[in-house]
Amino acid sequence: MAGSIKIRAYEFDGEVTVKSIISHPMETGPRKIKKTGKKIPSHFIREVIVSRNRKIVMEAFWGKSISRNPFLSFQIPGRKGDTITISWLDNRGNSDSATAKVR
Amino acid sequence: MILPRAASGAYPTKAFLAKEMPDVLREAFGTSDIGESEQIEIEAPHIASDANIVPVRIKSGLANTESIALVVAGNKSPFTAYFKLYESQSFVSTRIRMSDTSDLLVVVKADGVLYANSRPIRVGRNSCGA
Repeated sequence: MAGSIKIRAYEFDGEVTVKSIISHPMETGPRKIKKTGKKIPSHFIREVIVSRNRKIVMEAFWGKSISRNPFLSFQIPGRKGDTITISWLDNRGNSDSATAKVR
Repeated sequence: MILPRAASGAYPTKAFLAKEMPDVLREAFGTSDIGESEQIEIEAPHIASDANIVPVRIKSGLANTESIALVVAGNKSPFTAYFKLYESQSFVSTRIRMSDTSDLLVVVKADGVLYANSRPIRVGRNSCGA
């Protein structure tokens, strides 16, 4: 699942705004493939952890009601050059992590 | 690198499994009696053009905001997201699914006290199964 996370982080007035998009199907479960009638099992991100300079600043727990290819934006205190790391874990045990520098 | 722990035990499974509205709050926060606060700002469309992608922006004006939770009353699993904030943070934005026209309830914990605010969001066609 490498390369699934895009992060943009910029600082203004001591506040860092982070915007990120994770590529993930976020499958809810009951959906069926029309042609075959086969059910698509649920597949969604359960947990997202955000850290700044290797210290956790936010923990997010998600359910199936989060949209496909989840968008996540937030603001934290910080300055230019800080590193923002976002990592996620889904209900199948897949995970990914990405780091970006605050601009 | 800090990865989410697979079995951290922190995941509020019961809240995500609860189907009915007061139960969800009870499982998630231990109580369904939560005071209202106008200081929680909810920015969301009045009418969602795509029910699968409803952008929401939450700004908490409450001091020492510790967590922000999103609950969509009309969904089959109403508990949508729970954000634990460890620094002086007050803003979170994401995109959610809505299976039907309903209220988006935002529950904020600030200084150990729960506050809630809600916004009705109308949904057109293209509803989903969330």
